[in-house]
Amino acid sequence: MPEMGFVQQLGIGALMTIKVAVLSYLLALAIGTAFALVTLRRRLVVGFIWQVYASIFTGVPSLLVAFLFFYAGSGIVASLASLVGLTVTVDISPFAAAVAALGMVYGAYLADLIRSAIQNVPPGQFEAAKVLLVPQPATWLLVILPQVLRLALPGMTNMWIVVMKDTALISLIGLKEIMAYAKLASGVTKEPFIYYVLASVFFLGMTWLTYFVSRRIESWSERGYKPVVKQEPAHAL
Amino acid sequence: MHYDPVLAWESMPTLLAGTATTFAVLLPVLVLGLLLALPVALMRLERGGKAVFAASYIAFFRGVPSLVLLYLVYSGLPQLSVVRDTFLWTVFSNAYFCAWVGLTLTHSGYMAEIIRGGLAAVPPGVVEAATALGLSPRQALFRLRLPMAARYVLKAYQNELLIMVKSTSAVSAITLVDLTAAANTVFDYTYDPFTPLVTAAAIYWCIVNIMRIGFTMADRKLNRHLARG
Repeated sequence: MPEMGFVQQLGIGALMTIKVAVLSYLLALAIGTAFALVTLRRRLVVGFIWQVYASIFTGVPSLLVAFLFFYAGSGIVASLASLVGLTVTVDISPFAAAVAALGMVYGAYLADLIRSAIQNVPPGQFEAAKVLLVPQPATWLLVILPQVLRLALPGMTNMWIVVMKDTALISLIGLKEIMAYAKLASGVTKEPFIYYVLASVFFLGMTWLTYFVSRRIESWSERGYKPVVKQEPAHAL
Repeated sequence: MHYDPVLAWESMPTLLAGTATTFAVLLPVLVLGLLLALPVALMRLERGGKAVFAASYIAFFRGVPSLVLLYLVYSGLPQLSVVRDTFLWTVFSNAYFCAWVGLTLTHSGYMAEIIRGGLAAVPPGVVEAATALGLSPRQALFRLRLPMAARYVLKAYQNELLIMVKSTSAVSAITLVDLTAAANTVFDYTYDPFTPLVTAAAIYWCIVNIMRIGFTMADRKLNRHLARG
């Protein structure tokens, strides 16, 4: 039987997993949205930078990126800072390395998703907003964003699950999350099976919760697309 | 921090040995995963108990991270005396075998869902025509439905394959020295993290992009009837 102390530690680790996953996802969303917006129109320099970024971060395992940021991160930051004439010394914690790596890798995937969602909003929506003299910020925020959300949500939900599962892998750089505690508990108690099953139950639960919540958000984002009143077949037929 | 070409050249044998391990893990997983996914996908398309089983198989192996599965197979299963005290122990004490089992289960979960999607996209008229022409269900499956599904799911298979290439980096957790672990070994010897990790990243990048080119060519060949003339 699992001991309560270790189960409690697994809980602490699970909170850490959620924290890393949420922060990475928010960073990925920020990077993805920024790249999606600047690559909407074809521009040579920006397009080239995006191609290089996407090619690197979708072609390399996120674990390797995390190792690179964790071990070589302070060196990278120092030499980037010396380019602008600053001397900076930073210590990269496993937490920061994990969030940066996951955020940058999945930012590349999310950018593609968000861009194609924006491109799939009917162009008439932009034109109508322009004709009605809706100011630019309001157009994006109140007209386009809700429709982008409806189109991008299924992909974004999948990406969230992928990020969360990758957080487990990233623990190999020394992050104190659920896998690290499961490993610790297995080592001490010599009962690895139970603790790894508990860890997989946590991930299954999170996946289930994600689908539960995402279905709610999706049906909310589809308001205006679905008829409010259910169409009943006519009695005469 | 700077890139040291000399060190990169000297560490090449280690890194290439790691690449060989990566492929030794990857290739059996791709074959076994595909073989395992096909019956699961077919069960998922049926009704009743089989479909429920297939749905939970897919949900479980897609929901659990591959690292958890690897740990579960490599260090979790030996806790059970069934595994430890029988002939199973000889295979489950082998890290390669555990890597194959763990990753195959993950891969088959995703592949089952992809194949199911492809089979569901085959127009029902094709299957009806096959039945009308007297083809057995087996012939209809292997001669019509699967070849058609393969063309539909090529893009999804490309994504899944590239994800699998990158997920093999998880096997370093169960003592196998794959490309990622090899880069870390060089780092341990030389205290230079940047050069070996960037070199390993470049090797991964080449593998992934060669596969992308291969898929583009396969797509051009298989879906040439869809190409605009």
